[in-house]
Amino acid sequence: MANLTRRLEPYLYLTPASLFLLLVFVYPIVQIVRTSLLVTNAEGGKTLGLGNYSLVAKDPVFWQAAANNGKLLFAVPIMTLLALFIALLLFERVRGWKIYRSVLFLPYIIAVPVVATTFVYLLGLNGILNTLLRLAGLGFLAKDWLGSAVWVIPSIGAVIVYREFGFGLVLFLARLMSLDKEILEAAEIDGANWWQTHWFVTLPQMSAVIEFFIVVELITMLSWVFAYVYTMTGGGPGFASTIMEFYIWKHAFAFRSPGIASALAVILLASTTLLIVLQLRLRRQPLEQV
Amino acid sequence: MRACFLRMFTVLAIASLFLTACATPAATTAPAVTQPPAAGATQPAASGGQPVELTFWYWAESDAPGADKWMAETVQAYQKVKPNVKVTVVAQSTDTLISAFQSAVTAGSGPDIASQWATGPVLGFVWQNALVPVSDYVPKSEMDNWLNLNENTYNGKVWGVPMYLIGIGVMYNKDLFQKAGVTPPSGDRWTWDEFMAACEKIKIAGITPFAVGDKDGYHGAWFFANVGIQGLDSTEDLRQAVIGKASFKDEKYTGWYKNLDEMVKKGYFNSDVMSLTLDQGERVFWDGKAAMAWGTDGMIKQAITTLGEDKVGLMRPPKLGSGKLADAGNATQSISFLITKWSKHPQEAADFLAFLHTPDRLSAWYKFTGVVAADKRFDTSAVTSPNLKKMLQWETTGPQVWLENYLPGQVDSDADLPAGQMIFSQSGSPTDAADLWNRTAESWRTQHPDELKNWEGWQQK
Repeated sequence: MANLTRRLEPYLYLTPASLFLLLVFVYPIVQIVRTSLLVTNAEGGKTLGLGNYSLVAKDPVFWQAAANNGKLLFAVPIMTLLALFIALLLFERVRGWKIYRSVLFLPYIIAVPVVATTFVYLLGLNGILNTLLRLAGLGFLAKDWLGSAVWVIPSIGAVIVYREFGFGLVLFLARLMSLDKEILEAAEIDGANWWQTHWFVTLPQMSAVIEFFIVVELITMLSWVFAYVYTMTGGGPGFASTIMEFYIWKHAFAFRSPGIASALAVILLASTTLLIVLQLRLRRQPLEQV
Repeated sequence: MRACFLRMFTVLAIASLFLTACATPAATTAPAVTQPPAAGATQPAASGGQPVELTFWYWAESDAPGADKWMAETVQAYQKVKPNVKVTVVAQSTDTLISAFQSAVTAGSGPDIASQWATGPVLGFVWQNALVPVSDYVPKSEMDNWLNLNENTYNGKVWGVPMYLIGIGVMYNKDLFQKAGVTPPSGDRWTWDEFMAACEKIKIAGITPFAVGDKDGYHGAWFFANVGIQGLDSTEDLRQAVIGKASFKDEKYTGWYKNLDEMVKKGYFNSDVMSLTLDQGERVFWDGKAAMAWGTDGMIKQAITTLGEDKVGLMRPPKLGSGKLADAGNATQSISFLITKWSKHPQEAADFLAFLHTPDRLSAWYKFTGVVAADKRFDTSAVTSPNLKKMLQWETTGPQVWLENYLPGQVDSDADLPAGQMIFSQSGSPTDAADLWNRTAESWRTQHPDELKNWEGWQQK
């Protein structure tokens, strides 16, 4: 009995935090799954079943929203490479590098609606960007960035990269500064140039933090871009920029369809989890090295 | 011993949490709709001198600029009449007007008085048992003065209070017409061919023929309500398509998208349609950069203020279709004020809403907004602008239908608005727009069998 007591005691101390996590994370997920299995009938009552998932599968807007989220995933390698490249440049300790770091990190701390609203004015057909392009004789490059079904998702992706890459920059720079300088100096002495040093020496040591950033941004692209779309385009033109979160919001709050909204949310959660598991398995490296 | 008890208790607490979350309900039936008190039944006693707080989720400014200031003055005036009643007004955003109130309905708590667009949206909340009939709290003698009550009458009860009437006309800039050599219609409106010919002449003169902003989708919806309506004989025609007894691919419902598409391809709209919201699109006209634009009473008033009364002309939407509704007016109360089921002070809420229709408030409403009040007692001699007099005559003559009010919210949001955007952005064809309507209506029917049942039972004239 005393042995059992000693073994169970640590769990008692974990209980408050566990309860909090259960309440904030586990309980909502359980409720969402439960709600997704409740199908509305003609009398307004609920029956248990997979009907909501079937309705979602038949909904073309769902497939378009999922495709739009998929397109946004292409922003992840772009922002990773951009953050990495600039971090490597700043690591060279150019004059004023601390100021550059702060300035480049600034967009990340500005609220998303503020950034999004600013870019609405920048990216309008007669907005600042197109006006500058026309003044520079590059009018042929001026597009309706947010009003065109072709350009809207890449434009939103670009705004997300602008705001999010600062996080990667600070993360990568912090890791670079913790690297053993002797190894880098040794590579230099051995005749490695800038590119070779970083490709063969620096980057392998940064793989864990790069992987962490990629995982975080994959999650962001799938489930943390609602504010961009809501502010910049409202999901339009048509459904060209509708994403999963936006469609979940519409069903939950505008269309009074909690069952369908929950089914969409479960699908989004499952997709995100699958993506992360696949990505981690491919890398087969623990995150403890971050 | 105590440690052991604590551990057992913790394990039990966690287990019960899981069991509660995982409990599957038996198949449920819908809760019975609570019937409102019968006419003449005892109403909740008025509060007397007890302090009463009313929360009012209010929307009107977008339709009638100046409405917010009028409401602020009205609340102060009411404070003098009923010092114990404090009204807190919370301005609502257009984009979240329905979804925010839907959240309140789901939670069963929120404002005492809400604002929703008339007919379809209001009925959607009636069917959710979220409202009490206004007619249970306001005397018939008072309500007999209100206009367009038919828009919110259901099962013999009136569910929403009208405040104003707005119609939509086509404003035109007389100077730009003259510059392009275009003569306005001799009657109220052009035929569609005359309208297109005028647009071509205006375009050749280097002027934008028609100003639109469709980033938010609402101007596309206005084309549906003013041009799309013309193929129908009645709102019942629309209901038939909504409930699946007719197809939205039928020419009478969506054939007009070909005409809209033709206008876009010929360049009759400003190039930045998809970069501008509705209000920003109107501003293109107010700034004198386009020859024509849609205009509500409030927008016409703004145009008159900006350009001058003698520079602004008005005509009815050009005639395209040959359905009976082609000649109907389009005036609607637009927004209706509703009393919520969970309000602890429905009588006080009704009293406040009735106060909005007192002569002083009606007169002040017009002074602030330039929009006609939806009340027979409104002094029409206050309308001095020739353009606004014309609007008043159109709004109060003959049948009036704002077609968008007769759509389920999901069909309006996921078909009406995006279909127009597809055409304006040229990301879809008129056939795609028709397909979208049909698909969306079908999705709504399968996703909301309970709502479908209500719509099937709602016979319209």
